[in-house]
Amino acid sequence: MSHQFPAIIVVLPLVVSFFIFFSGWWVKRAGYPLAVGALICCVFLSFSILISVLGKGPIHYWLGGWEPPWGIEYRIDHLNAIMLVLISGLSMLVAVHAKKSVERELPAKTALFWSLFLLFITGLLGICITADLFNLFVLLEVTSLSGYSLIAMGEKRAVYASFRYVVIGTMGASFYLLGVGYLYIATGSLNMADLSQLLPDLTESKAILAGFAFILIGLGIKMALFPLHGWLPDAYTYAPSAVSAVVAPLMTKVMAYAIIRVMFTVFRTEFPISILQVNDLMVWFGTLAILFGGVMALSQRDFKRMLSYVIVAEIGYIVGGIGVANFTAMQGAIFHIVNDAIMMACLFLVASLVMYRTDGHRIADFKGIFRTMPFTAFVFTVGALAVIGVPPTCGFFSKWYLLLGGIEAHQWGFVTALLVCTLINVALFFRVFDRGLYVHSHKKGPDITEPSNNPHAGEAPLSMLLPAIIVALAILLIGIFNQFIVTNVIHFAVPVGL
Amino acid sequence: MSDLFSIAYRPVWTVIIPSVVALLILFSGKRPNARESCTLIGSVVLCYTVLSMSPVVLKYGPIQFIWFNLLPGIDFAFKADALGLIFATTSSCLWILVSIYSIGYMRTLKEHAQTRFYFSFALALLGAMGIAFASNLVTMFVFYEILTISTYPLVAHEESPEAIAAGHKYLAYLLTGGVFFLIAILMTYFLVGTTDFSYQGILKPALSSTSKFTLQIVFFCFLLGFAKAAWMPVHAWLPSAMVAPTPVSALLHAVAVVKAGVFGIIRIVCHIYGIDLMHTLGLGLVLAAIAAFTIIVANFYAIGQNNLKRMLAYSTINQLSFIILGVALLSPMSITGAMLHIPFHGFMKITLFLCAGAIAAITGKKTISEMAGVGRILPVTLGAFLIGAFGMCGAPPLAGFISKWHVALGAVDSGYLFFLLIIVVGSLLDVVYFFPVIRRAFFAKVPEDETLKGDLEEKVEVYAGKKRGIEGRRALYLFMIVPLAITAIFSILLCLFPNIFSIYDLAQTAVKNIFGGV
Repeated sequence: MSHQFPAIIVVLPLVVSFFIFFSGWWVKRAGYPLAVGALICCVFLSFSILISVLGKGPIHYWLGGWEPPWGIEYRIDHLNAIMLVLISGLSMLVAVHAKKSVERELPAKTALFWSLFLLFITGLLGICITADLFNLFVLLEVTSLSGYSLIAMGEKRAVYASFRYVVIGTMGASFYLLGVGYLYIATGSLNMADLSQLLPDLTESKAILAGFAFILIGLGIKMALFPLHGWLPDAYTYAPSAVSAVVAPLMTKVMAYAIIRVMFTVFRTEFPISILQVNDLMVWFGTLAILFGGVMALSQRDFKRMLSYVIVAEIGYIVGGIGVANFTAMQGAIFHIVNDAIMMACLFLVASLVMYRTDGHRIADFKGIFRTMPFTAFVFTVGALAVIGVPPTCGFFSKWYLLLGGIEAHQWGFVTALLVCTLINVALFFRVFDRGLYVHSHKKGPDITEPSNNPHAGEAPLSMLLPAIIVALAILLIGIFNQFIVTNVIHFAVPVGL
Repeated sequence: MSDLFSIAYRPVWTVIIPSVVALLILFSGKRPNARESCTLIGSVVLCYTVLSMSPVVLKYGPIQFIWFNLLPGIDFAFKADALGLIFATTSSCLWILVSIYSIGYMRTLKEHAQTRFYFSFALALLGAMGIAFASNLVTMFVFYEILTISTYPLVAHEESPEAIAAGHKYLAYLLTGGVFFLIAILMTYFLVGTTDFSYQGILKPALSSTSKFTLQIVFFCFLLGFAKAAWMPVHAWLPSAMVAPTPVSALLHAVAVVKAGVFGIIRIVCHIYGIDLMHTLGLGLVLAAIAAFTIIVANFYAIGQNNLKRMLAYSTINQLSFIILGVALLSPMSITGAMLHIPFHGFMKITLFLCAGAIAAITGKKTISEMAGVGRILPVTLGAFLIGAFGMCGAPPLAGFISKWHVALGAVDSGYLFFLLIIVVGSLLDVVYFFPVIRRAFFAKVPEDETLKGDLEEKVEVYAGKKRGIEGRRALYLFMIVPLAITAIFSILLCLFPNIFSIYDLAQTAVKNIFGGV
């Protein structure tokens, strides 16, 4: 049975998603328990896959028993395994959280929401598990299309934001598909392992070069790498809280995973680094993304919009780390994919909690949360300190590897940008802290922390709060026990040849 | 179980106790008396834990405890050595007194958000203990950041625009410093592959692989990292932070924050660079020049202040640079003096701040020009102030004399007589700004329109016990007066018997370790 897990982990949420959609016509309430049940199974499956990978090495699974390169292969090594755990774990927590928030924000569309939610997760899990470039495209579209619709469910302007995302995202997907097409014409294969055998002989080919460039640009758009990030802030700001809590942390990180996969598994390490030297370019784009994201985030009044720009900066960390292209920095980049997903989930959950109470996600809506919502404030503090990179939260440790890698490679620009962004993050989050902490400011006006003045005062319901607290504790635990994760998983996830 | 309380685990207990206290404070926020009991009991237990380690360390050497692996080649580890114990003893002893004082001060002034105040205070102590006992730079950095962040709500406690601005300034200076500290740690790790403190320094092997210039740059990154030491020109946050309530000023100036800064500089100079390397790189003289500049300039700033707490803040900047100067002279004597000045200055400065706070809380007077006649209303307080002021100047029957004497001897020892001059001039300038306060408080004529009247008169009579005030008002006053009297007495005792709490032995052991029995 356990050798079928790689297929089940993708098929299960897919099937349940359709089931919820159809059953939604009769039983509206079935969506939540079914979705959470399916995701809990996914968490279990992903952990057992991870344990198996840790014990016995990479898993190969041939869909329908068709041998690669003809059939679709699922291949799971340390890198995918940790991504699977990350996706299923976070999405499960967000799903538990989402119930009340969806009932409040999307009362008429609950069944649809849960159906699309699972479809979105199916796509992400599939992208991380597949070893076939075309299959990856298909799953990318599954994810994106469900993502567009989820985002479009949000506030008034969400439809426009989502449409913009559709246009830009489709371009990204097309670039990717074109790239895959070039590779297929040149080699006749779509299987990653097979391609990596064939490609080294074709490094002179212009078609291969074009294919590589198209794939990189396509994934760059999807992961919102500066200057291809235009779609991101609007989409994540206006999406429903529960949607941004799952899309924002996971989508861009999974794309970052895909870039590592294509650059270092499909093309091997020599091609992008020694032959094309595209990595220097990536460091520069990463550096610019960090600075741009940080500065733009500073000028936002909306909390979710500010976080969106923080994501742009964090993507810069990861891309820069990949570009530095040494073992330490790559460890940092991969670790940061994990950490950033958790940190962003944490902060978007906070946004959702505050939204539930105050019906807004501006920074001003955080006024007095340390008094009125102490547990939410705790979660926020942990998340914010992690983004700033204060030890012992996990954000510090991935930053440590990135910085050390940067120093080893003498990438001083990147190192400086990382440090500057740390300070920008301080300014960003302490602005929110001030709102939350200091309500006695000697201005006139009713004290909103008095329950009589503020009907909304008080924590969000436990089912919303608990997942957020678990995520916050995860940030602390991953930080403290980071060596366990780094030496057992991430150490082996670094692509061969670095 | 009894094993857990054995001496080997004590360094860890020093960080666990304040964290537990912080949590208990958070959950007992609704019952003020229970909350304050947590702080008091916690501080006493912590003080006992720290003091119980000194005899062992003096007899058998440092107590090392490795908790878990943090990063490749870097453990989350604690090491209680003589130097760390000096700082920890200072912080933990003063925490008891400040806690008692806070009860009187915060309740007299009916301050808001007291739970937040006590919670942050306990966390700051956690940071201080961690810094004192960290056995490598990364562990130290963890606690250094905890200290910075936990102090922010304290500095901005008043929540007035001015207080929040001071809080921002505080964060801007210290977290920017933190970034420099981080880059310096990374460079150290990159150059020598370890960040453990060692008696002879660890960076010396790096000379073979990198230039002197790199090491000098890294040293300046470290210095900027220790912006908490308030050397000029990274001192501006300290005078601004005096808007905070007095117990917070005591925390900043005596208990933890600035002491963590100078402590860090001693660690870097002695245990990361090492005396030899400091000589080779010529950094001692540069550091001494910075310190000398700060001593003189800070004194002139202090002379110009009218706000009492602001004046004391500049006095702190001056005294801190005095500690830095002691280290920078790189002679055994001066380093002993520098180490001694950490607890000695702590006791004396806390006396002064507690006096300033008590004056403000009881009479509402905050500036020096208003001080006329205060000495007659609050004789004990101003008497303690007098003792503290004498100590700052280094007058003989007070603790300041011993440390200044040692640093001066060190200056002669190292041959830089110029710095001896700085020490003398610095101490004389201290006199210039402390004595007007005392003169005004005791001898100035009270202006007609400022005679005791109305609310103040009532307060004073309650204070003197002539009149029954609002329930418990007098007890609250005593909560303020008793701690400052104790610190004043200790300022004298520490001169007569410098080995109270084995501080003198600890300093000598620490210096002996650094100079390897020379």
